[in-house]
Amino acid sequence: MSVPTTTAPAAPPSPGSRRGGPAPAAPPGGRRRRTPLLLLLPAAVVLVPLVAYPIYQLGLLSVLDFGQAQASGGAPTSFVGLGNYTRILQDGQFWSVLLQTVGFAAFCVLATLAVGAALAVLLTRVGRWPRLVLTTAATAAWAAPAMTGSTVWSFLFDTNLGLVNHTLVRLGLTGFHEFNWFYDKWTAFLIVGAVVVWHSFPFVMVTLYAGIRAIPEEILEAAALDGANTWTTFRRITAPMLRPILTIVVIQSVIWDFKVFTQIYVMTEGGGIAGQNLVLNVYAYQKAFASSQYGLGAAIGVIMLLVLVIPTVLYIRTLRRTGNDL
Amino acid sequence: MNSRSRWRLAADTSALVLAAATAFPVFWMVLSAFKPKGEVQSLDPKPWTAHPTLESFRQVLSVDGFGRYFVNSLVVALSVVVLSAVVVFLAAVAVTRFRFRFRTTVMVMFLIAQMIPVEALTIPLFFMFRDAGRFAPGVGLNTLASLVLVQLAFSLPFGIWMMRGFVAAVPVSIEEAAQIDGASRTRILWRILLPLVAPGLAATSVFSFIAAWNDFVFAKTFIISATENQTLPSALLVFFKPDENDWGGIMAASTLMTVPVLVFFVAVQRKLVSGLAGAVKD
Amino acid sequence: MRLIGRSAAAVVLAAGCLAATACAPGTAAPAVDRAGDDRTGTLQVWLYNEAGNAAKEAVIAKAVGEFQASHQGVTVRVGYIDTDASARAAKMKGAFNDPNSAPDLVEFGNTDLPGYVAAGGLADIGADLDAWPDKGDLDPAIARTAVVDGRTYGLPWWVGVRALYYRSDLFTEAGLAPPASYADLVAATRSIHAAHPDTFGIAVGGKYTFGALPFVWDAGGDIAAKDGTAYKAAIDSPASQAGIKRYTDLFGADGCPAQQCADLTGGKTVDLFAAGKSAMAILPNSSRSKVDAGAVKGKYGVVPLPGEKAGSIAPAFAGGNNLGVMKAAKHRTLAVEFARLLAGPAYQEQMYDAMGNLPTLRSVSARVAAKDAFLKPFTDTIAAGTRFVPLDQAWAQIDAQSVIPTMLQQVVTGKADVAKASGDAAGRITSAFAAH
Repeated sequence: MSVPTTTAPAAPPSPGSRRGGPAPAAPPGGRRRRTPLLLLLPAAVVLVPLVAYPIYQLGLLSVLDFGQAQASGGAPTSFVGLGNYTRILQDGQFWSVLLQTVGFAAFCVLATLAVGAALAVLLTRVGRWPRLVLTTAATAAWAAPAMTGSTVWSFLFDTNLGLVNHTLVRLGLTGFHEFNWFYDKWTAFLIVGAVVVWHSFPFVMVTLYAGIRAIPEEILEAAALDGANTWTTFRRITAPMLRPILTIVVIQSVIWDFKVFTQIYVMTEGGGIAGQNLVLNVYAYQKAFASSQYGLGAAIGVIMLLVLVIPTVLYIRTLRRTGNDL
Repeated sequence: MNSRSRWRLAADTSALVLAAATAFPVFWMVLSAFKPKGEVQSLDPKPWTAHPTLESFRQVLSVDGFGRYFVNSLVVALSVVVLSAVVVFLAAVAVTRFRFRFRTTVMVMFLIAQMIPVEALTIPLFFMFRDAGRFAPGVGLNTLASLVLVQLAFSLPFGIWMMRGFVAAVPVSIEEAAQIDGASRTRILWRILLPLVAPGLAATSVFSFIAAWNDFVFAKTFIISATENQTLPSALLVFFKPDENDWGGIMAASTLMTVPVLVFFVAVQRKLVSGLAGAVKD
Repeated sequence: MRLIGRSAAAVVLAAGCLAATACAPGTAAPAVDRAGDDRTGTLQVWLYNEAGNAAKEAVIAKAVGEFQASHQGVTVRVGYIDTDASARAAKMKGAFNDPNSAPDLVEFGNTDLPGYVAAGGLADIGADLDAWPDKGDLDPAIARTAVVDGRTYGLPWWVGVRALYYRSDLFTEAGLAPPASYADLVAATRSIHAAHPDTFGIAVGGKYTFGALPFVWDAGGDIAAKDGTAYKAAIDSPASQAGIKRYTDLFGADGCPAQQCADLTGGKTVDLFAAGKSAMAILPNSSRSKVDAGAVKGKYGVVPLPGEKAGSIAPAFAGGNNLGVMKAAKHRTLAVEFARLLAGPAYQEQMYDAMGNLPTLRSVSARVAAKDAFLKPFTDTIAAGTRFVPLDQAWAQIDAQSVIPTMLQQVVTGKADVAKASGDAAGRITSAFAAH
């Protein structure tokens, strides 16, 4: 845990309001050390006890046999070492769920980025009113809570009462009469994926649109004057300028889609037929939290964290090696 | 020229069609909330209703203490928005305007904090708040303050990540000029930098608002016996019973939950786009 | 443990944490320290918030009035808690973990009992019940659902059992008598589906555990069997497999097609039957109002779910709710007395009138059956002997992990045969028992 380490020097409070200090963007080491730590202090006061410390406890729980009986003082806590981890790693289902989670998250991230980017570009090509209408519609999708969004989509795709089946039958596709979208693993994943994308593409669209708009017209015009075609302009100008926001958008999408819970839980009623649509978060809930096996659940949480942290750290190292920074 | 305007027409049309498709589920939700019960469960669903009724809304509003839960949710969400804006702003300034040891580590920590499934953290948090309640009953279990605190904590990491871009977008020269004019560091922070990044704060506040407004994981864990401190999602959960598909009630409850978020969105929307644009002007 | 606690404390102190007691993952002090037996003050009661709760509240208000009148200086405060599984679990866990928030008396589903007992949350009220004059009137099979390891932790308040609803109009049309055996039932699905291709022969569900278990029990199987003091999985025994096969065979073209029914819960089968979509369904007595609100009002009858042998009744699952006293209760005696009032003959009968919940006292059961002919198949089913899930906290885990539904769904969707699916389920059941 290095969070406490970084904040510890901030302890002596002193108003950092001396005048005539060095310019804000001075090179490393040349600054008064205290100011940034002072600015981080409020965040640390909230995050250290409420996030860092519970994460630390999560690690602790993952090596204990800790259930409801232990939590309420009905039984002593016992140390089980890596017992919880071996129990999970030996569960054949865990590996298929892990694979499924990675695949599903990858699908959702790619689809979200594709839809969001395509619509962002479209927004730059349309008139004021269509743009306002599309932005507002996307806002509505964005604003809908995951629980209500999932419920509405389930209703639309309901076997008997759903509008989708009804419309398809009307269009002559009688095979969809009382078609159960959630019977087959892949159609079920497809619909849940669609809902995830529906919820998250507006963030990507609005952010990328803002990014494109922020590219100064002069640069694009200059490129056009130099005879650059659309592709070259995109590759040489647009893409590099959008890189910082793309980074944020991708990282956030990966984190969110890897942790999808509500959509799967609500739409496939807890993981689908015979658990065919389980993802890690729902698996952890079913396997551990629903039956109060907190130690086991904590171990799954730690594994999920590692699965995400390792690529993140690798990515950041590549960034730094290529001279970029976070 | 002609082909160009045809392109434009095609683009406009597809934007409108896509907008209709995107908004359709929300439209269907509101429509189903206004349909009479028999029509919602009909095997022949229609995209309109000839007999709009408030029956379903009345049923939802009749949940004991609905008004109270609504206000509680609003209090929690708005408190989180305000507190998180201040904390996020200061922290974002720290990580963008300064170079210090462990800066990257701190940034990575903010990312890692977002990767933990919240469900896993409820247990340690539950005991922390229970114990805290023994010393300071105001922030113990069963209080709205406990919900504000956890929601605040979980909104910060993402907020700081987003805000970073907004702060970086403000040219350093503005602050330098102010400094030469003799403005104090505090003054520069609150009077010059803050207004400049306000659109960015609006954008990040949308996220903290939604998260706080929708939460029921913490609400159901922390608010054990003080029913007067329940929040809206946990009260509306009664309509989401898997076995009793009362779609009219579910849709009315969903509509009532979505509306405040939409209002908040619309209120900050203009700032949202300009704020996000600002983040990449660097 | 101490070492871990100390290093945690270091972090706490460095972080300026709120409380030194939060060093290790928190545990509650044993609840018994806090228990009390005040004879005056406010008695806190948590009851389930059920569909049509107004009628329940009216009965309870009467009981509260009667109790307060006979107990000077006592106020009864009743809170109605959400019955959604995860919400109520969170609520009960909260009450166990933070005894300050705990009520005195709670209503709880009888399958939740072993977990609550293991958590040390409920008080043993065996001695108090022995002194209860109505104890001998309790149905013995139902009384056993409140006993864990020889100690009684609850007072059975009401039960619900399932029986076979059938469409009397379609049966008459096909010239069929209500099924008296499993073979009759299968034959009925076939002939009715042949005459009405749009109608399912029977509404069953892949997630309908308590619809499937009677078939397993009737075949002589069980989820787990007690081997000495320890439970051993029995779901893969030949008898259990025969029962599973009988249930899953109903997911054919004549019965309930897998495409439609593999993901149904018991609640959804009510909808199917009520909408006139199926000729039969296995439903509890409480589904009556929902069925009457649907298209088949007046066109159905109910008989006990038949077993394999003609004329036999397949053992039903004795689901129901108990009243239990919290270990951390501050008014133990008052809580027991109020529970005895609620579960006494007078209020059991009123609760039946209000909610349709079946009484646990045999005398009241006979009285309500005489009053309402509709109940006869249900009381007959109870009288024929009911069964229950293993009274062990492993059940909570087996249930949460959807072990039984997963097994049924694997068979129904053709992902595995009965032997393989029940073998997998037995493995999970065994490991659940081993974990506790």
